[in-house]
Amino acid sequence: MVDEKKLQDAVKKTVSRDDVKYVVGYEKGTYGFQVTPSFAYDPKDADKFIFSPLCVYNLAVFPMLEEKPPLRKDQEPDTRKIGVVVKGCDARAIVQILQEKGLNREDVVIIGIPCTGVVDPKKLQAQFPENGKNMDIKTGKDNFIITIDEKTHTIAQDKLLDEKCKHCEYPTPILYDILIGDEIKATKKEDYKEIEDLEKKSMKEKWEYWEKQFERCIRCYACRNACPLCYCKECMVDQLSPQWVRRSVNLSENTAWNLLRAFHLAGRCIGCGQCERSCPMDIPLMQLNKKIEKEIKELFDYIAGIDPEEKPLLAMFKPDDPEEFIL
Amino acid sequence: MADDFEPNIIGFLCNWCSYAGADLAGTSRMKYPPNIKSIRVMCSGRVDPIFILEALKKGADGVLVAGCHPGDCHYQSGNYKTNRRIMLLKKLLDELAIDSNRVRFEYVSASEGQKFAHIVTEFVDDLKKIGPNPLKEGGT
Ligand code: SF4
Ligand code: SF4
Ligand code: SF4
Ligand code: FES
Repeated sequence: MVDEKKLQDAVKKTVSRDDVKYVVGYEKGTYGFQVTPSFAYDPKDADKFIFSPLCVYNLAVFPMLEEKPPLRKDQEPDTRKIGVVVKGCDARAIVQILQEKGLNREDVVIIGIPCTGVVDPKKLQAQFPENGKNMDIKTGKDNFIITIDEKTHTIAQDKLLDEKCKHCEYPTPILYDILIGDEIKATKKEDYKEIEDLEKKSMKEKWEYWEKQFERCIRCYACRNACPLCYCKECMVDQLSPQWVRRSVNLSENTAWNLLRAFHLAGRCIGCGQCERSCPMDIPLMQLNKKIEKEIKELFDYIAGIDPEEKPLLAMFKPDDPEEFIL
Repeated sequence: MADDFEPNIIGFLCNWCSYAGADLAGTSRMKYPPNIKSIRVMCSGRVDPIFILEALKKGADGVLVAGCHPGDCHYQSGNYKTNRRIMLLKKLLDELAIDSNRVRFEYVSASEGQKFAHIVTEFVDDLKKIGPNPLKEGGT
């Protein structure tokens, strides 16, 4: 359990600093199990901050959304930091962005939360479809304890845990300025079981599977906007000349979009699942992300977002990189 | 697959090696199938996977990327980096059931006209077996 009082105090202390613009964390949403991002510009805003197993979202995207407006001649740039509340996985997004120099270390204050796992909102919704005002969920010893209007239910963690948490290898943020509570040691391992099952399918089965998925894509680009690593000033899909991806929504363009998005995150995606969670059409984007992650580990012995000093995967090479052909 | 299927190939050839290699194949009158349309790039490192996708969407059945041999890249490491990119792209294509044999990365030096002709011949044969590209716009 995360001590919310400690979290709020840390947020208060952080926003009180002159060199901090705001801190982003989580607060309770208006109804049901909802949790939404919360922004503290002032110490008193911190009283709303919570951390519960509902805080599944990755907030590392916010520092990337800061606009840098052009300055007038005598204007000083706003160099204030942004504070972000992060779980283990979210912190890896920041590490990866630092590695790519998308942010400098001094641009962010990282408030780290050692995480015991969060729930998948869709699984929760399926189990408890009611929509009340007094709904909450806490982590028990090996279950989740859910309260809906004074009634309590307990449910095995496995039934609600988000997929990413089932294989989490970095529960404690790798990088932080303030840690709320004690470090938690990793006990789980990524096994890529789901990916291996997909790999076993025949070409025909794979085509039919992905055709069914991509044909539903409405190209809203929510997956891109939610991803902390999709921070290009001008995304390739917005370019008009040359126009790499046509506006038309059809299988060919949709496939190209999804393939290129996944490829652009190769060696960068840290598996927070925010893209898939944001997709209104339930397209299993994590299967693509995980597939690439697995290949990268096997081919290049590389893991994204664990070392801010490492060079980005596709910006370097090793002379003994595998090659697929025989000379 | 119908016997009369003639695959379209787009070749991205490095200016310093493979393009000259292809030229040599031509000037020495080596025989190779006319299915390839070559685009000269200044280095195989210039080839963004987005180019390959674009070619496939626009109707290419196969894409050949050819660059200098390891150690010979005019810009030191373009070919190594392209090797990484294309390997990953191919894994992803296979995952999405777009036969990754539609994309080839080869090292062809300026003196290897013979090798170039051989690669193109072999690639055309392979693509005839694989069949038309499903990603083609307007196709399924
Ligand atoms: S969020 Fe889903 S529907 Fe929207 S563009 Fe991404 S994959 Fe397509
Ligand atoms: S691609 Fe998806 S899982 Fe990967 S970092 Fe972006 S939002 Fe997270
Ligand atoms: S999809 Fe590619 S180009 Fe677009 S924002 Fe993401 S990384 Fe950048
Ligand atoms: S110059 Fe030929 S591959 Fe780089």
